[in-house]
Amino acid sequence: MSVNDAALCALQEEQTRLRRRLQELQQQRRELRDIPPDQVPFSVPAVPLVFRGHTQQGKEVPTCLLSKLRICYPLPGGSALVTFDDPKVAERVLQQKEHKIDIDECRLRVQVEALELPMVTTIQVSTQISRWSVLVSGFPAGLRLSEEELLDKLEIFFGKIRNGGGEVETRELLLQGAVVLGFTKDTVAQHLCQVGQFTVPLGRQSFPLRVSPYLSGEIQKAEIMFRPVPQSVLVLNIPDVLDGPELQDILEIHFQKPSRGGGEVESLRVVPPGQRGLAVFTATSG
Amino acid sequence: MADDGPREKRVFWDPWSSEEVTKNELRKRLTDRFTKENIQLKEEIQRLEAELQEATRNSQIKEDIPETKVKFTSLENPETDSQFLNISCSFQVSSPIFYELQKGQALITFEREEVAQNIIRMGKHHIQIEDVDVEIVAKPVPLNSGVRFQVNEEVSKVKINVSEIPNALPEDQMRDKLELSFSKSRNGGGEVLCVQYHRPSRSAVVTFMEAGGSHPWRQLRKTLPFNLADKILKKKDYPLYINENCYNVIVSPYTETHLKHFQVFSGISERTVLLTGMEDLQMMDEEILQDLVNIHFQREKNGGGEVEVVKCSLDQPCIAYFEE
Repeated sequence: MSVNDAALCALQEEQTRLRRRLQELQQQRRELRDIPPDQVPFSVPAVPLVFRGHTQQGKEVPTCLLSKLRICYPLPGGSALVTFDDPKVAERVLQQKEHKIDIDECRLRVQVEALELPMVTTIQVSTQISRWSVLVSGFPAGLRLSEEELLDKLEIFFGKIRNGGGEVETRELLLQGAVVLGFTKDTVAQHLCQVGQFTVPLGRQSFPLRVSPYLSGEIQKAEIMFRPVPQSVLVLNIPDVLDGPELQDILEIHFQKPSRGGGEVESLRVVPPGQRGLAVFTATSG
Repeated sequence: MADDGPREKRVFWDPWSSEEVTKNELRKRLTDRFTKENIQLKEEIQRLEAELQEATRNSQIKEDIPETKVKFTSLENPETDSQFLNISCSFQVSSPIFYELQKGQALITFEREEVAQNIIRMGKHHIQIEDVDVEIVAKPVPLNSGVRFQVNEEVSKVKINVSEIPNALPEDQMRDKLELSFSKSRNGGGEVLCVQYHRPSRSAVVTFMEAGGSHPWRQLRKTLPFNLADKILKKKDYPLYINENCYNVIVSPYTETHLKHFQVFSGISERTVLLTGMEDLQMMDEEILQDLVNIHFQREKNGGGEVEVVKCSLDQPCIAYFEE
């Protein structure tokens, strides 16, 4: 085939692709008119799911699911976190703002405070089809690449103009094995979505991957509430007179004494003076 | 290059202009035509894309986060200053994917995907239930799409937001007054590191020196009548004294919220099949029916295989959750 014929062929192929894309968009516009506003107008990555017997009576639409909750609360030097078995004990301990702890001939004065943690109660997210980013999906199962390796390989491939891509600005692995790539130019994202399918080398083999528009989210509003942790108590302003292990023992003994309002201590952690601590809280199962 | 000589003199028919042309001329005309059409197509595609983008702009998702109890797990070392100066709260939110099981319907999960697909392919199944031949239709389960994302919220331990500051003084003076007011321990304040005051919006950010251990917000709240437990963080008043006058400014926590890994996905059921056609069996016991369905679909001769779970809904619809 001569050079001119090849060029003509390429133009024809491009037109076929463009017409297909146009049809896709026209279909989306038609569908957009029919669907309720809270649904997505284009096909999104599918996640395989299974019914395991978990049901709920009635027709109430379930609220969203929360997982991997982790709250980190900084503790200054000279403080401690006491967690009691019984929340009522914590309540009792808190009735006195100041506790006097006896050691031999002297007394330690410490402050005791309820622990409150901030938690998001409502969140509002606005979504929009991103102009600069695309979603790459269709990765084969059992792909033996680390997150970093996979992102690198995708950035290498889609960073090349000759592959239809362009300079990659951001990259992110999503929670369900799809990757979001953000480009410096929005024309790149558009072009990649038009083409739709790419064969990308990932290690020794190449795989067909799908590129589709990415619906990005932005937080509009997040309301937070401070909620108490009923079983735990903060101990503050502990004077610097004792060593770590000794201090731990003394505090434990004190807070276990019923005469001081204490009770069974589940855990007691001390942050010695001059140091910094971070108390980690996670969701209980019950 | 081969000499195209005799070939070039051959004549072709251009259907668009109904003319006889040489091969070169035809090729040129086709090239021009395609190029022009492609440009037009690209323009139309761009227009449609822009239209669709506008149409889906600002669709809002509002989620109420279910209340979760937390417990102390471990004590770690903060690695950065930022970790020490903020209370951080992170979690993952995902939409539940579910199917509303109607009366007379059932869901059956097989251990193997091939079995499930086979059952669907077979379509109609006949089961003997109490000497009656019941025709059951097997279909794929239509599932909704959902979103999933990660939220990270940082509540500052040393900064607070101040708003509704009166425009009673010039900028520099007001900044000083704010610093003085928030230094007063009798009002719950403490030593101030700096004040960022933005007069046009009547707001400021006050940064305290490292707080003793409790949040400056808590300190401020101590002097104000306030019910701590389970209340949405209300913006509280704080007295600001200027000359002889006392103004009330509003104080609230200084927070930053970040969203990560935002993703829309649709659920697809590969191993679970929807069975319909049992509407007439409403008088039956659900458990007995479930057993019969289970036994029927375990048998290879019926096209089935190992069954994980069966759930029938006879007299009441119920919501069936799908998990990963």
